Amino acid sequence: MTQVGIEAMNVFGGTVCLDVAKLARHRRLDNARFENLLMKEKAVALPIEDAVTFGVNAAKPVIDSLSQAEKDRIELLVTCSESGVDFGKSMSTYIHHYLGLNRNCRLFEVKQACYAGTAGFQTAVNFILSQTSPGAKALVIASDISRFIVVTGEGGEETEEGQQLTADWSFAEPSAGAGAVASLVSETPHVFQVDVGANGYYGYEVMDTCRPVPDGEAGDADLSLLSYLDCCENAFLEYQRRVSNVSYRDSFDYLTFHTPFGGMVKGAHRTMMRKTVRAKPDQIEEDFRRRVTPGMTYCQRVGNIMGGTVFMSLAGTIDRGQFDSPRRIGQFSYGSGCCSEFYSGVVTQEGQERQRRFRIDERLDMRHQLTIEEYEQVLRGSAVVRFGTRNVALDDQVDSISKATRYDGERLFLRGIKEFHREYAWVS
Amino acid sequence: MNKDELFQLVIRHVREVIPELEPHRFEYSDRLQELGANSMDRAEILMLVLDSLSLQVPRVELFGPKNLGELIDLLGVKLQAA
Repeated sequence: MTQVGIEAMNVFGGTVCLDVAKLARHRRLDNARFENLLMKEKAVALPIEDAVTFGVNAAKPVIDSLSQAEKDRIELLVTCSESGVDFGKSMSTYIHHYLGLNRNCRLFEVKQACYAGTAGFQTAVNFILSQTSPGAKALVIASDISRFIVVTGEGGEETEEGQQLTADWSFAEPSAGAGAVASLVSETPHVFQVDVGANGYYGYEVMDTCRPVPDGEAGDADLSLLSYLDCCENAFLEYQRRVSNVSYRDSFDYLTFHTPFGGMVKGAHRTMMRKTVRAKPDQIEEDFRRRVTPGMTYCQRVGNIMGGTVFMSLAGTIDRGQFDSPRRIGQFSYGSGCCSEFYSGVVTQEGQERQRRFRIDERLDMRHQLTIEEYEQVLRGSAVVRFGTRNVALDDQVDSISKATRYDGERLFLRGIKEFHREYAWVS
Repeated sequence: MNKDELFQLVIRHVREVIPELEPHRFEYSDRLQELGANSMDRAEILMLVLDSLSLQVPRVELFGPKNLGELIDLLGVKLQAA
């Protein structure tokens, strides 16, 4: 049986970010509600950033760590996103170009809300397992942004598009992030070796949250939580049906979750511990601290990045966990609408060492912390790149970005759109 | 189980999840959100109620009720169908 899993993985959590407590005060969010979020910062997408730039910037360090021969074996590049820029042309085409990859490669995009990253990942895993192209590698890029555009109403007053669609937008705004996770999937799974066949998938139709219009979200947070919990239970039950002798508490050294916000994961974990092993509150608390909090490390600093969030939780666990001996991680992915999956894999000491080379947390530290005024400015400035923009020139914003922020490497930014064609530039 | 018994069962679990509501006099028109229960609290209350009733129903099927009275009516319907 071919081994398969993640050979290398990197998270890009943006160029600028916002302290969530600051935002909550500014929006006069109920304090109790805010504390339930368990969040610190959220990444914010600049007008010169989009899901393509985030995807490239996550993948670049991974690609740069490969030899030319290894790079040339990337034969599948799938983007997983609900922040697409075109109804036909997938973002993988742009990413393929700017990473300089081999043309003998499949390029496409997948969508199912926050499940998309897992959908792309399982597709890549199955490509490797099929051995139709022995030795091939796959690059899975889950990339999403949340652009809540502030539009000026007819009377000159400012209305927020999001508010027209969901009453709970003020609650969603603090947790909505921007970011990408790039995972190189292959027969040499140095970082995360998948347990082949150990999958519990569970999906059905429910209208919990969605993006029915570009740059705008709709839905009901309460219904979404109920659906998330139903799926958490049922996806795991299916996993348990397929794999012998599985215990939620004892079979996994760590648990990673799709993390809309930390509080939700805490609640889901508590529910599962009660249901599966009838655990008591203090046992649950200890278990949460030990097995779940490492996975919240990056999620708390970036926010909800949709399909990539569960992989960001995995990256946090790998960077922060203890791997003196190989450890099994159980992963739960959920995407509204909905589809979910519980799957697992093993991480070793070597995997952690490789992962840490990408210094994800150091790069998060390099982000510029926005003031509230700067944040509002970014929201207003995003109007020029709203979905469907035909022509715009952003060179001056790209030119000033390297002076305004620091980074140890090259980053890609959007410098303009010409007749719908997106043009990007590298900045050192 | 009649409507009042269901009501008492729900109240018991609400108090279990939110001990501060011990002295509160519950009415059918009460809304859990207004009583200080956040979304996770409400989901937990639901889970405890379903457990006590041994009712195997997806949580999403219990979405919709605007107050305790409506929740109890819906639970009654689900119990009859079970």
